[in-house]
Amino acid sequence: MPPSLAVRPRATLDVIRDVLGELASRDRNGDVLTAIHHIPARDAQYAPLPAWVNGRLAQIYRAKGVDQLYTHQAQAVEQLHESKNVVVVTPTASGKTLCYNLPVLNAILESADTRALYLFPTKALAQDQLAELHDLATRLDDSFGVFTYDGDTPADARRAIRERGHIVLTNPDMLHAGILPHHTKWTRLFENLRYIVLDELHTYRGVFGSHLANVLRRLRRIAHFYGSNPIFICCSATIANPGELASRLIEDQVAVIDENGAPCAEKLFVFYNPPVVNRNLGIRRSYLNEATRVTKELVARNLQTILFANSRLHTEVMLTYLRQAFPAAPGRSEPIRGYRGGYLPGERREIERGLRDGKIRGVVSTNALEFGIDIGSLDATVLAGYPGSIASTWQRAGRAGRRSGTSCAVMVASSAPLDQFIIQHPEYFFGRSPEHAFVQPDNLEILVNHLKCAAFELPLSPNEHFGDIDLSAICERLVEAGFLHKSGGRWHWVQEAYPADTISLRSVTSDNFVIIDEVGDAMGESSGPEVIGEVDFSSALTTVHPKAIYIHQGQQYHVERLDFDERKAYVKQVNVDYFTDAIRYTQVRVLEIAAEEPATGPSSRAHGDVLVRSQVIGFKKIKFFTNENVGAGKLELPENEMHTTAFWVTLNRGLVASLPYALSDRQGGMFGLLHALESVATLLLMCDRRDLGATIGERAPRPGVEEEWEQLPEAAASPVETKEFFEPNLYLYDAYPGGIGFSEPLYRTSEILLERARDLIAACPCEKGCPSCVGPLGERQEHAKEAALEILRRLLGQD
Amino acid sequence: MPAKLKDKFSGIKALRPAPRRSSLSADIGEPRSAGNADSLATLLGATLQRNHYGEHFSIRRWFSEPCEFAPHPDVLRLIAPDAANDTVDPQRWLFLDTETTGLSGGSGTYAFLVGLAWWDAGGLEVEQFFMRDHSEEHSVLLALRERIAERPVLVTYNGKSFDWPLLETRFRMTRAIEPLAPLVHLDLLHPARQLWRLRVGNARLAQLERHVLGWEREGDVLSDLIPQIYFDFLRTGSAEPLLPVLRHNQMDLRGLAAIARKIFSLLASPENENPDAFELYGASRIFSRRGERARARELFGHTLDAGLPEELHRNARRQLARLAKRDRDYDLALSLWEELSHEHRSGLVESIEAAVELAIHYEHRARDPERAAEIMRAALATLSDHPNADHTRARGFRNLRARLEHRLNRLNRKSARPLTPQR
Repeated sequence: MPPSLAVRPRATLDVIRDVLGELASRDRNGDVLTAIHHIPARDAQYAPLPAWVNGRLAQIYRAKGVDQLYTHQAQAVEQLHESKNVVVVTPTASGKTLCYNLPVLNAILESADTRALYLFPTKALAQDQLAELHDLATRLDDSFGVFTYDGDTPADARRAIRERGHIVLTNPDMLHAGILPHHTKWTRLFENLRYIVLDELHTYRGVFGSHLANVLRRLRRIAHFYGSNPIFICCSATIANPGELASRLIEDQVAVIDENGAPCAEKLFVFYNPPVVNRNLGIRRSYLNEATRVTKELVARNLQTILFANSRLHTEVMLTYLRQAFPAAPGRSEPIRGYRGGYLPGERREIERGLRDGKIRGVVSTNALEFGIDIGSLDATVLAGYPGSIASTWQRAGRAGRRSGTSCAVMVASSAPLDQFIIQHPEYFFGRSPEHAFVQPDNLEILVNHLKCAAFELPLSPNEHFGDIDLSAICERLVEAGFLHKSGGRWHWVQEAYPADTISLRSVTSDNFVIIDEVGDAMGESSGPEVIGEVDFSSALTTVHPKAIYIHQGQQYHVERLDFDERKAYVKQVNVDYFTDAIRYTQVRVLEIAAEEPATGPSSRAHGDVLVRSQVIGFKKIKFFTNENVGAGKLELPENEMHTTAFWVTLNRGLVASLPYALSDRQGGMFGLLHALESVATLLLMCDRRDLGATIGERAPRPGVEEEWEQLPEAAASPVETKEFFEPNLYLYDAYPGGIGFSEPLYRTSEILLERARDLIAACPCEKGCPSCVGPLGERQEHAKEAALEILRRLLGQD
Repeated sequence: MPAKLKDKFSGIKALRPAPRRSSLSADIGEPRSAGNADSLATLLGATLQRNHYGEHFSIRRWFSEPCEFAPHPDVLRLIAPDAANDTVDPQRWLFLDTETTGLSGGSGTYAFLVGLAWWDAGGLEVEQFFMRDHSEEHSVLLALRERIAERPVLVTYNGKSFDWPLLETRFRMTRAIEPLAPLVHLDLLHPARQLWRLRVGNARLAQLERHVLGWEREGDVLSDLIPQIYFDFLRTGSAEPLLPVLRHNQMDLRGLAAIARKIFSLLASPENENPDAFELYGASRIFSRRGERARARELFGHTLDAGLPEELHRNARRQLARLAKRDRDYDLALSLWEELSHEHRSGLVESIEAAVELAIHYEHRARDPERAAEIMRAALATLSDHPNADHTRARGFRNLRARLEHRLNRLNRKSARPLTPQR
């Protein structure tokens, strides 16, 4: 029987051209379809299966149709065979799982004691790998055991997994809190641990990545205790620095394998910018409506399509639109389905099947279908909004693309700054990846927490290394604080509590605010108070201050009260047409300059340690879409001090003085520039806007100087209070205590940062500045956009 | 430079003082001074023991109470079905109880005091291994291993879930001393729970001592405070607060041995021990669980005469009926079910269950489907009359009703069958 009897016309280039023609008919000014990028088909490049591969393994791979390897697979397994760590960087559907399954299974077949640990960032991804491994296990007469081990694993199954699991699939959180503290129960695994697989490596960046690097320090320590020295196999989506990321995470040398040998079918990648409807305010037609329209055109031509939304709420909205356009035929199942977290597992499996056999013609999904999950290959992908990173965009686009024929991907931009930047700079997207993933494993807050866990797991010796710190000095501090006790030359854990229990890998400190829905909402019935989420201390004051609108999974909540001492925010569901923006006074004091150099100018740039002092003193209510200020309130909240790292640009007196604008416009220009720099930085660093803070302050005569801390309004605060800056510093600081590794890279690449900021502002079609480029404007700042560009021109030496 | 380092450390939340659970003196005190081993030994009444891995303190004391007893082999098999015959020798028994630095387990939780006890000269010899700091753990573990080799029948209270896994972890952490698995591990928590939880309210050892043995512990330390007392000792060398901890552990061991004696004599010949109704009920259940049906039925009989509270009385009859059914003693089973089926006002679930049993009996054994159907109708009427009958949330209720209706429908078809045969 052929694989599918469903009628499925080939996605030909002609049909896609037809759709493009339809879309282009709306493109009067040539600014709707900003790019049509053609990716030609490419043949596979093969290499023979290495001779050292176990005969049985080679046989079952042949039976699965793998007679030879793609070149990148062959390179990876050869490097691993020579006991080198590798990171494999290849796109979706290029056969990366073979890169780790083949060497791991080969080692198990050679020696049945061999163990391997696979780490996936989420439980769902681990589950997804099980199917392939179970298939291989069956073909190998169950000569190895493979299990997932996570929070859902039943207690009575755990013992068997510890003893018989040759391959254990888990996630960093479980390794951190469930496996390492109980390593004596995993003696067999740790004594024989040969390989550790880190899949989706690019997701381990920022806070999560910095934690993971420390979890891996602990893992290597325990492995060493049991006499093993595992090899790391990493897989990453395409980013600019996979080798650097991998070697920072595993603290060892890593061979980078990034020449893809997998075949690739022809694909068209289209950028679609919804038409402008109000040029003054820079407002475009709704990207959700536009993405739905594009999807309709594709489905109507019988192209099986996946539409990605960036939130659950948007999934449901667009699903409703599409269902109206394509109702189910009588007696038939729905041709358009939704897919997201929160659907029941059975329902999800049914949808995945429907997509593979072609019964489902369109699916609207959150990032739940971005990677993993086998749904076959579709004809077309539509992205409603930029997913936030180029790597993510390619992964989503990779969902369309059959082995033969042609597929297409359409990205529909929202009016957010990043979307607009990307959509108007296709070369940035299609060129070499500009995205860097950074971690800061030596962030003291994170490191010390893991050092506590490490001491719990195994007493610490003074001659050990745990990151770039003075281990003895910190251990002595922990002795003073009552966590450790030194005896027999080693530091032992002396607390009843379990350190891993209180340390989350998703935030820097465990000092979090819990958000409690006072009424609760289970299926529309009030179900009593319910914890809906947590925010870390540093962002709590700006996001869950009293009367704030807190948005959680697309639902708006009004913060009724904030219990600062108990770290609790009580909220209630509401449905309003505004959001809130905290008015925060922020001041940065430079403590120590790590590096500084003059730049073009006259200006200079630097990075180093800073103390950030901030206080939320009020908030504004901003209306959706129009960004009108529709109200404000005052708040009395405690002041917060944070030691972190920052990158900054200093505008020298001469530069500021030479700007041909009024004071308020000059200030508007500086804040506008800062806003653009922040947008671009989040793009280069693959991070979220809340991971970075931005502020402007007068340059101090020298670092660390104790001067009067005065209150300065931020850009978004009240621009009426115009203060004259003589030599302003434009700061971008890490919004986490201790810094998370952004400042030094920003310093290194500041030229690119400035250029991209200029591109962003210059290409924005608004007249005088809008939230997409220089941010929301205050009164008397109508030349802010011009001023910002003028400053950039001087900073880039184009005067 | 140090000034800057200090500045950097001062803001780190992870370095802030650990929370302290203590009703003891608030000040943490001065770091301990060295060279007071002799005075410490004198204070604790300890001697220094040395072995291949180093040294540790040992505290030994003999108690005339509780006194040695000869365990009945039948009871041993009742508690540990896989126990070999020679494990009944009380001289091979080793009582064990540990004091630890926490309850959460994991590789950073230590057993700083390992308490052991065995029968000697008719009374109980208690030996406690105490590590003055972590570096003495190896020698404690080696000494423990030797004691287990001498007396391989381990007797504990909750030791299967707590003490022994924790000690196994400690052994593994040494990477040198293999844990020696005991020949048999008698964990008395489970039989004690069966026998006394209903009366005492919980099955904590100190509670059983008070309510079952009639002992009073004086000046006992709260077990929640024990880890902190040890941590304080490590930090300051202040040893006086350890004395109540040592006593607490001795009391636990003596209580454990006395409870063992009580359990064994109670189960060997309940009639001689003047048991109360709860103990009889618990003993009946223990026999019943091990499949000793004759003994269990006999004891349930005594239990019913001993005056249990209503609910337990009902439960005992329910279990007795089940045993009688197994033994095909239908007369007894029927009379109990009849009784139970009429007690729907106080025991609805039991009454329905009894009605179903009756219906099964009349349908399959007495071949009287009409009678069975009648019983089901009565049971359904009982359900409908029940004040909770219309409560929408009572899903269990709806399920129960559905099951009864299903059975009734089948019975109706069955009793109608002779008239209109089905094709």
